[in-house]
Amino acid sequence: MKQKSVAITVTSGKGGVGKSTTVASVGLALAKLGRKVCVMDTDIGLRKLDLMLGLENRIVYDLLDVVEGTSKLRQSLVRHKEYDNLALLPAAQTRYKEEVTPAQVKQLVDELREEFEFILIDSPAGIEGGFRNAIAPADQAILVVNPEIPSVRDSDRVIGLLESANLDQIDLVVNRVQPGMVKDGDMLSVERVQNHLAINLVGIVPEDRRIIRSSNTGEPVVLDDKSMAGQAFDNIARRLNGEDIPFIELEEPTLISRIKRIFHIA
Amino acid sequence: MVFLNMFNKEKERPTAATADDRLSLVLSYQRSDIDERKLKKFQGRLIELCDEFGYDVVGQVEIRPQSRQRDNTTVLNASIPVRLREEREEEKSAGS
Repeated sequence: MKQKSVAITVTSGKGGVGKSTTVASVGLALAKLGRKVCVMDTDIGLRKLDLMLGLENRIVYDLLDVVEGTSKLRQSLVRHKEYDNLALLPAAQTRYKEEVTPAQVKQLVDELREEFEFILIDSPAGIEGGFRNAIAPADQAILVVNPEIPSVRDSDRVIGLLESANLDQIDLVVNRVQPGMVKDGDMLSVERVQNHLAINLVGIVPEDRRIIRSSNTGEPVVLDDKSMAGQAFDNIARRLNGEDIPFIELEEPTLISRIKRIFHIA
Repeated sequence: MVFLNMFNKEKERPTAATADDRLSLVLSYQRSDIDERKLKKFQGRLIELCDEFGYDVVGQVEIRPQSRQRDNTTVLNASIPVRLREEREEEKSAGS
């Protein structure tokens, strides 16, 4: 029997909010759960997913090579070193977004559906051609937003475009949340962001220095047991996998709460 | 002295509330997607409509787009100061 496959585009509108980090981390977390996953980079000319996954030295062919018939799809897929049920379809680094059409990307994803259960598509920033390529094949979308005005405004614009694309579901990930700043009243709370955007919340990811370390080493934070962000991305993957997972408590631990934890006092 | 100033120092106002207000406003305008010319035309039509229903517009017509988070829509709030035409005519005849 043919497996059910879902294509999810991860997008934002604004750049630098953590789309590629989300795709790499959630993709790897789903692979850890035993699912067959393909992460696809559609940011032609500015690819990042290969670096996030530590696969930059293994790329021979890319998405455009498949579209142009220079290589077969199987040849262009780069398997993860540790989890071979995770594959990367890289974007071309020295070409332009205009060289591929939404119809071609859709056809490519339809081919990927034959092998993979989850196809996570990393969208470029903006709402131009690259964005249209990324949403053309999608069944669902995940909107990554930072709790700040420019990011929320751009996301609101993107929601309008996603709604007109008739997707089955649009989920929200609020990334780079700093609980201390929220508590001091200097950062929009997740609740406020969700109220403004009015879409389903699928993840809350705290600001985490380990994210920088992970992109330096090419090992997504879901492989780091000490990372709160890693745990948050892992939970997002579990929710996409159909599990009912509560949101993690982001409050920074006080001295008293730490002592309580040591002595196992609730 | 520096030590005392630490206690006297005014606490900075939290900025998230300001951000929230600004966000409501920018999203309202973005969602309304109405340009100035379209808005003026809309005002003109509202005045015509009032006229058709026997109302005289007696002041500035204001249209304010407002975002409704509940269902992610924009609500157009129109403020139209009017007076029933018949009443005015009666007032005039009573005066003369």
